[in-house]
Amino acid sequence: MDQTKLLEIFKTVATRVDRKEFPSVVLTSVITDLGIDSLSMMQIVGEMETELGVMIPDEDLVELVTVGDLCKKVGERLEAAA
Amino acid sequence: MTQLAERLYREYMTFFEKAERERRWNVFNDVPWDRVNKDASEELALCAETFCSVEMYLPDYVSGGINVVRNYFGQAWFQANWAYEESKHSLALTHYLVRSGKRTEQQMFELQGRIFAKQWSLPFNTPRQMTFYGCVQEMATFVIYLKHRERAAAEQDECLRTIYDFVARDEIAHCRFYQNVIKILLEEDRSGTLADMAHVFANFEMPGVGIVPDYDERILKMREAGVDRSLFIQKVYMPILKYLGVGRHEMLAAQRTAIDAKRDRAAEPQHQGLSA
Repeated sequence: MDQTKLLEIFKTVATRVDRKEFPSVVLTSVITDLGIDSLSMMQIVGEMETELGVMIPDEDLVELVTVGDLCKKVGERLEAAA
Repeated sequence: MTQLAERLYREYMTFFEKAERERRWNVFNDVPWDRVNKDASEELALCAETFCSVEMYLPDYVSGGINVVRNYFGQAWFQANWAYEESKHSLALTHYLVRSGKRTEQQMFELQGRIFAKQWSLPFNTPRQMTFYGCVQEMATFVIYLKHRERAAAEQDECLRTIYDFVARDEIAHCRFYQNVIKILLEEDRSGTLADMAHVFANFEMPGVGIVPDYDERILKMREAGVDRSLFIQKVYMPILKYLGVGRHEMLAAQRTAIDAKRDRAAEPQHQGLSA
């Protein structure tokens, strides 16, 4: 699955969790600049994992800086599972 | 004594024995007061004063916290021991600020007066929620003190570094006690305890928010020292879940409910005066 598609999934899940739209989010957007608190971010990651049937190791989660970093990790897990 | 009360008592005795045998320290004898660096930065002193201020609400923490758990001997006695240890933290930091020449005794008395003008109230209502709040708060405090121990060492203040060392060691011991109690509570009622954990995580605030004088300005200085919310997931949330044997995905459902409930409360119109 390409990064653009994963970005769209991120926006959908983030909107569902945070109850607001994220129209201007791009892959280079810094997660802490999105106004999403850290706990909601964990929720978004968890729901993306559930939806796509992958699991990102806990130690990788602490390295996420941008939305693109998250999409890349999810993409890598999807490839590994294919 | 119920089986739960007995398990909590045993947990407390394990904690207390270890504290008595391995962890006791003396404010007067064990801190190298002659190694205060009087040329250390004002920022270092301001952060120490902030920690000291938060610790000064001890009478409120004790009176509120001990009554929530008074039916459980182990937890109530833990609160008494906890209070003794926390009182040393506040005294050591007060003494440091005066010995370093960064504050006068008069200034510290005035600060105490400003602090007691406001009162801390319990952030949660049930013993289980307050136990988990204690767990999160002690872990967060431990992480913050470790950061500041490094900072004190970098500024060659051996006295403050030692104080933070002792304080951090106490805080993680308190955290471990709370974590072990939560483990027991998870065995007793896993779904209910997970729901309470999620509720506390979603609504967690450090105890000084809104009551410590000039709190917002003080927090800005903390952030400059590298203590910010990004540390929370990495150093507090994840380690707590790991220790408790709770997976991230197990928390998801409970967390979703808690986050939604918090948002619903925030979105509710304020009906001032209706309850009067």
